[in-house]
Amino acid sequence: MLSRVANLIYWIARYLERAENTARIVEVNAQLVLDLQARQAADDPRAWEPLVFVTGSDEQFHELYGDKVTERAVVEFMLFDKRNPSSVLSCVAFARENARCIRDQLSAELWETLNTFFLRLKDDDFTRYAQLGAADYLAWIKCQTQLFHGVADAMIPRHEGWWFYDLGRHLERADNITRILDIKYFMILPGLQAVGSALDMVQWASVLRSCSGFEAFRRARRGDLDLVRVVDYLLRDEAFPRSVLYSVSEAEQCLARIGPGDGQPAVARARELIVKLREDIRSADIKAVIASGLHEYLDGLQLRIEQIHVAVQRAYITHRPAATPDQLQTQGA
Amino acid sequence: MPDLFAAYDTDKFYDEMFAAPGRPRPHYQRLHDRFCQMDGISELLTRQHTADQTFVNRGVTFTVYSDNKGTEKIFPFDLIPRIIPADEWARLEAGLRQRMEALNLFLADIYGPQKILKEGIVPREMVETSKNFRPELVGVPIARDLYVHINGTDLVRDQHGTYRVLEDNLRTPSGVSYVLEDRQVMKRVFPNLLRDYRVRPVETYPSDLLSLLLHLAPAHVPEPTVVLLTPGVYNSAYFEHSFLARQMGIEIVEGSDLVVENDKVYMKRTDGLSPVHVIYRRIDDDYLDPRAFNPNSLLGVPGLFDAYRKGNVALCNPIGTGVADDKAMYHYVPRMIKFYLGQDALLPNVDTFLSGDEKDMAYILANLEQLVVKSVDEAGGYGMLVGPHSTRAQIEEFRGKIIANPRKFIAQPTLGLSRCPAVCGDVIEGRHIDLRPYILNGPSIKIMPGGLTRVALRKGSLVVNSSQGGGSKDTWVLAAEDQEATPAVPEKLIV
Repeated sequence: MLSRVANLIYWIARYLERAENTARIVEVNAQLVLDLQARQAADDPRAWEPLVFVTGSDEQFHELYGDKVTERAVVEFMLFDKRNPSSVLSCVAFARENARCIRDQLSAELWETLNTFFLRLKDDDFTRYAQLGAADYLAWIKCQTQLFHGVADAMIPRHEGWWFYDLGRHLERADNITRILDIKYFMILPGLQAVGSALDMVQWASVLRSCSGFEAFRRARRGDLDLVRVVDYLLRDEAFPRSVLYSVSEAEQCLARIGPGDGQPAVARARELIVKLREDIRSADIKAVIASGLHEYLDGLQLRIEQIHVAVQRAYITHRPAATPDQLQTQGA
Repeated sequence: MPDLFAAYDTDKFYDEMFAAPGRPRPHYQRLHDRFCQMDGISELLTRQHTADQTFVNRGVTFTVYSDNKGTEKIFPFDLIPRIIPADEWARLEAGLRQRMEALNLFLADIYGPQKILKEGIVPREMVETSKNFRPELVGVPIARDLYVHINGTDLVRDQHGTYRVLEDNLRTPSGVSYVLEDRQVMKRVFPNLLRDYRVRPVETYPSDLLSLLLHLAPAHVPEPTVVLLTPGVYNSAYFEHSFLARQMGIEIVEGSDLVVENDKVYMKRTDGLSPVHVIYRRIDDDYLDPRAFNPNSLLGVPGLFDAYRKGNVALCNPIGTGVADDKAMYHYVPRMIKFYLGQDALLPNVDTFLSGDEKDMAYILANLEQLVVKSVDEAGGYGMLVGPHSTRAQIEEFRGKIIANPRKFIAQPTLGLSRCPAVCGDVIEGRHIDLRPYILNGPSIKIMPGGLTRVALRKGSLVVNSSQGGGSKDTWVLAAEDQEATPAVPEKLIV
């Protein structure tokens, strides 16, 4: 297929996955704030700040909204602000623009699902969000992205286009899960002794819930909710669809289905990077990872996912010669 | 039975359907009878609604971007067909064929020996000052010696019913997808009427176009790749581009999908670069190659011009055809026909005055109120003055423009274009129409029976362009007594 078309499909999947996970990140925080209320004022800036850090857009946030981190500002920024390229509205608008360009190659139903979602979303703002309540509003967003995926799953023939779609979705998801895990790093506990406290447990439960993984975790891993066990589950579980390992493995299989591309070393490079990433995660020792810094480890995973993205672009989309690992390092950073 | 046409007024125009009020022409009698059997206007409106809905469902729409809601509109369609009897069409076809032959010979000549310029039949200055003339292509050989492949010739009928050529469109004429879609809808809405009339089919157009494109491929390529090059999804004709690409089973590409290496054209596919041999381009010359033409074009492909000049890729239409559809050059087409074919033009032009000519200029300036003035290099109904429908100020504005830039304008008498009944609100009224047949010049000249009938749906308007409130009608060319409406065996199946 045409590289441009493959790329548009790939990004539709990425944008919608990102929109869904952004909604999940806001949701987990909204719940946490409710749990915190007894201990902290709900409008404590520290309650909403982690979200801004974790999406990597804190500079832009402060540029647009100043120093004060309120619930209203964060929700506006993450859900509705078109100036933020990662806001839910931006992602859905980008996905729709992409879909429009290849509309004649998508099924009519698929286009309509996305178009309707966009048209209903585009005039919403914090007031509407507050009226419906965080839980209902965010559930609606998740529902719409899942509806799109459901229709896509039922409609797109399993040719190359589908594998690009699925590749985009799983690479984006792997990246987003590392960011959700990282939220906890930024969350404030009253003191060191609070590690393992009730509050700590509540926070971990919220992280799991935001990945729809609370019940699955309970069934799969009996015992306490603690740092090592939750991180291990969301990073390394082989069966849970929202674990990083699962997402990377899926992406690896998509890449294998896409075919040899132009036969250039770039394809081999992309495959090599993804296999290595999967193996490294599978054999990771989470206790050791935490001891040497979870935040840094997650940062490293994000960088490697980005390198895979760049290699895929080289192999199938831009048709530039494969870069040396050194060049990729700079590209990814 | 209520007579839907009881109040119909033919006014002072040539009417396609009625010879006189209440007296339909013979080839419209059957339709007249059928319409009079209807349950009044409401049945007609129901059918019109069905037709409109079919267009929406089939996605035959263009998108209105101004309101940012992605609102989609259909190109207005009128249910009452334009009917052309077999003998009338045979005469038109002969005239269009003759015109295509002459235009091809003219382009071959001015990009070759330039005999017509040397003999002073067409003023050299006229060709050389045309912004669509490409002197760098003089003497460059071209695929199959075909200098123009597709012409959309606009025809009108004057108050006597005489068909006249209004203009040629030798660059990227559009609208053919509406012809095909209009027919699909009519098959749904009036199946029996269509069959009883023995209407000649139009459906072979995409495969005829594909054979033409394949014919242009470099001779040594066993399995040539043809693509359609579009300016992109925001172009108002994008529906047509994707429609034709799908009908022909070829890839639709944008400029950024193509790349030129060593003067050869490739498209970027996920499995690598893949060679392209023929480009059906729906982009004007100026935007094709930023390196050769407009450097600001983001739509084109750098290096495409060199690949074309070396014969590694064919373009349809070729580069530089625009010099012959210039509204001033139009004036000389009957002389070209005489010069190259030794024949008189079968289809007359509309009388045309060139503001570049001193005598004509004096006439134009003295009669602006009666004339239609057109800019020679604009299309789509833009940049024109319809004298009788204009204010004093508009006329004076044009007067200034013409004096400042004489080469840029032509003037024609305001024609009383023929009218055809159209459904307007809940009554049937006469509306002005024109006709754009599509002429393909490939292994042989092929003309789709009929073409796009455009109708000026605004009351009294003479401008049929879709950008100016025009719509379309299905065009029914009737099979002759001894002619099969549908060819018994497909001529050639193209996979």
